[in-house]
Amino acid sequence: MATAAGTFPQAHEESTIWTWLTTVDHKKIGAMYGVTGFAFFLLAGFEALLIRTQLAVPNGTVVDAERFNQLFSMHALTMIFLAIMPLGASFFNFFLPLMIGARDVAFPRLNALSYWVFLGGALLLTSSFVFGGAPDGGWFAYAPLSAEEFSPGTGLDFYVVGLLLLGTSSLIASLNFAVTVINMRAPGMSMMRLPVFIWMMLVVNFLLILSLPVITVALIQLLFDRNFTTNFFTPSEGGDPILWQHLFWVFAHPEVYVLILPSMGIVSEVLPVFAKKPLFGYSAMVFAGVAIAVLGFAVWSHHMFTTGLDTVPQIVFSASTMAIAVPTGIKIFNWMGTLYGGSIQFNTAMYFAVSFIALFTIGGLSGVMHASPPVDSQQQDSYFIVAHIHYVLFGGAIVGIFSGIYYWFPKLTGRFLDETMGKVHFWTMFIGMNLTFFPMHFLGLSGMPRRIYTYDADLGWETWNMVATIGAYVLAFSVLVFLVNFFTTMRKAPDAPDNPWDAPTLEWATTSPPPEHDFDVIPVVRDRDPLWYDRDNGIEKPEVPAGLHIHLPPPSYFPLLMGGGSLLLGVGVLSHLALTALGVVIIVYSVWGWALEPTD
Amino acid sequence: MAAAEAAHGEHHASAGVDNRMLLMWIFLASECLFFGSLISTYLIFKGESLVRPLPEDVFDIPLTSASTFVLLMSSFTMVLAVYGAQHARPQMMKAALLATIIGGLVFLGFQVFEFKTFADEGLTLSTNQFGASFFVLTGFHGTHVGVGVLYLSSILFGSMRRNGLGKDGGTHVEIVGLYWHFVDIVWIVIFTVVYLIP
Amino acid sequence: MATDAHAEQSHGSPLGPREYIYITIGLALVTLVELALSYSDLSAGPLAAILIVLSAAKFIVVVALFMHLKFESRIFTQMFMFGLLLGSAILLALIALFWNDPSDALGGKELPPLEHHDEAHQLFLDTERLV
Repeated sequence: MATAAGTFPQAHEESTIWTWLTTVDHKKIGAMYGVTGFAFFLLAGFEALLIRTQLAVPNGTVVDAERFNQLFSMHALTMIFLAIMPLGASFFNFFLPLMIGARDVAFPRLNALSYWVFLGGALLLTSSFVFGGAPDGGWFAYAPLSAEEFSPGTGLDFYVVGLLLLGTSSLIASLNFAVTVINMRAPGMSMMRLPVFIWMMLVVNFLLILSLPVITVALIQLLFDRNFTTNFFTPSEGGDPILWQHLFWVFAHPEVYVLILPSMGIVSEVLPVFAKKPLFGYSAMVFAGVAIAVLGFAVWSHHMFTTGLDTVPQIVFSASTMAIAVPTGIKIFNWMGTLYGGSIQFNTAMYFAVSFIALFTIGGLSGVMHASPPVDSQQQDSYFIVAHIHYVLFGGAIVGIFSGIYYWFPKLTGRFLDETMGKVHFWTMFIGMNLTFFPMHFLGLSGMPRRIYTYDADLGWETWNMVATIGAYVLAFSVLVFLVNFFTTMRKAPDAPDNPWDAPTLEWATTSPPPEHDFDVIPVVRDRDPLWYDRDNGIEKPEVPAGLHIHLPPPSYFPLLMGGGSLLLGVGVLSHLALTALGVVIIVYSVWGWALEPTD
Repeated sequence: MAAAEAAHGEHHASAGVDNRMLLMWIFLASECLFFGSLISTYLIFKGESLVRPLPEDVFDIPLTSASTFVLLMSSFTMVLAVYGAQHARPQMMKAALLATIIGGLVFLGFQVFEFKTFADEGLTLSTNQFGASFFVLTGFHGTHVGVGVLYLSSILFGSMRRNGLGKDGGTHVEIVGLYWHFVDIVWIVIFTVVYLIP
Repeated sequence: MATDAHAEQSHGSPLGPREYIYITIGLALVTLVELALSYSDLSAGPLAAILIVLSAAKFIVVVALFMHLKFESRIFTQMFMFGLLLGSAILLALIALFWNDPSDALGGKELPPLEHHDEAHQLFLDTERLV
């Protein structure tokens, strides 16, 4: 329970492990997502370093083919599901209620549950390395390679169960957030006054809600093919491997927008603050984001141009893919319009935000190239695609996330990350990223395929591979700089004011970090940039009424218990069904306990 | 979920609806994609089986019509349960909930019988694409019915406690009703697309 | 009919038990018609079309009236429509993408009729892999 009485008390409750295990506070859950996501980011980066080291020279001997296949599969799976998505979820968890003027999300215990199920799925998937080998069929696990006959180990079963758990976690979180945004906004916070970051995350939530079920069906079918004698994807029995590809990509294409939209939202928040200008073309930004999502459901077969599609589908999907460049371009021009004529402060957050625009645009340009089927027939499965992916996902998503980290660090922790180290981090990351991924355009165009663990010396690929590997180590160094910055900063005492950047959005109306109850008084919103409006119109912060008692939802261990039950359910599918039965019992018990426990 | 989460202090529900109702409706939208993918798979493999039995060899349309009718009746008792909950008639609500649960169980009984009969006639998951896609589709629908029966039973048991379902009781029953009706309309689609359409 | 007795129920449904009985009878009758049609001599195309229309009607009636969508906040309809429309669109797209071509596994042949076996077939769950 927390009370407020005139002043703004810092929340200094004793944080034990049990506090964290039973928390339903969105800020703590956001912190857990953030730390876990970043840890897996480091793991996936390490996997990438191994890949690059193996490919630095022709016929490398760092890892064998089997291990290499596991590495690139897990690198992608870890980056996508265990790093980028949780980091986005971390920001959204922490800031959603604050930015819309609420005190928590719609279903706090469900929020905690989604974290624990995520952690279970993440650990299960990663543990595959020590339980017979990680999945090695790529993150897309194409049939018929994924069949038991050709992948007889357990790697792909870990893939199926792991992704089912992770998908469940994301679905639960997305449902919760969608209800929160729709139904829990502060008075005056109409939909078209929502911060663009919130709009982008709302769109992301709907993308997940509508696409996750499709891959769930695909995963179930793969599980059944591998373990229950069905033949959904076995051609000789009447099945069709292309069905897997369609179902997978109907999910996985919207998924890539899930990966990029949060960072686009973050950049849309950061640029106005450090250009001291409102975002250019707010309505267009919102509609463009929605358009990207809607179109994102209509382009999936552009991943399948080389599978023998008929002419008409090829044309349709090519056209829809190129069409997505339009709303994307609108966003890019609007970001530039925000900067133009602004009074720009070049701090680290701003460096990352501006470079996001450039790097993502490069990735977008290569993407439009392979939207053309004949061009794609050259580029598919080559390093040109790898270049595209990493420009949009590293130069886009990751760079945007770092921008958000530097921007929001004072609000999250009460401290400022060091600017000098931040600039070193930025420049080494920028140089490293381009050094690693730009040469891959050349490698792809000169014919280097993806997912090969070695290459011969006389193919002309050595130079660029070596450059890319050097770049990867520069990238690793840059992350090290960030980690040093982080740890040295956290050892300082918190001293940040409420709104050090003079930013416009509501989260900056609280202390840094916010008290447990977020707002002493729920704000009334009069403008799209509430704090700038209040500042420019001399509107004071609301008086805190005397004797104010704010009731917060009490902690609960049922989300943790239910998360454990679902992990057990998954483990049982991979080993003994008795464990699954036990997991189900624990889940049912948890649901009952949850429904009956008092929340006031 | 028994929750006062939506009623914190002077909280404003900007769209003006109950959080839990909104949650269930959005969840049902998600379920449309789930069953849509399963039905798509069934339709894609229609006519692609390499061996018999095919639908015409095993389907017993009159029997399945009976089970369809049972599920339809359970939807009817479900609306009565919601009506009873919302009009302060707890006996009506409890009786109707019980009838709905029984309807669900009878439907499941029909499903189990049908699955066993088909297996005896040579149709299993591994036999052909019809078997695989049929059993996975109707099996997952049946699982949803089973979860619904458990959910309904929980609400019924909850209503038999001293405080009943609390002041939000009507909403709880309404929400389980949404889930149950959805399971019914999915069956309407499956019955037509899988059983009736040649 | 009767206005809602509970103050906190903001949506008053004009439907009472009598209306629900009528609706249910209607749904049952439509189901019987579908059943009868499936035994008729109609060719596959028109039969399928009529069955789809009838089922869609039942679907709409259950969603709008049993699930109260017609009487509730518009936001519920919007949310459900997202899922329904997208799911239908993807279903149609997948069917179109997989529309049979003559080079599929069967090669356009008909399967021979089923012979009836006397011995019961084993159960279909292969759980060997799991232990």
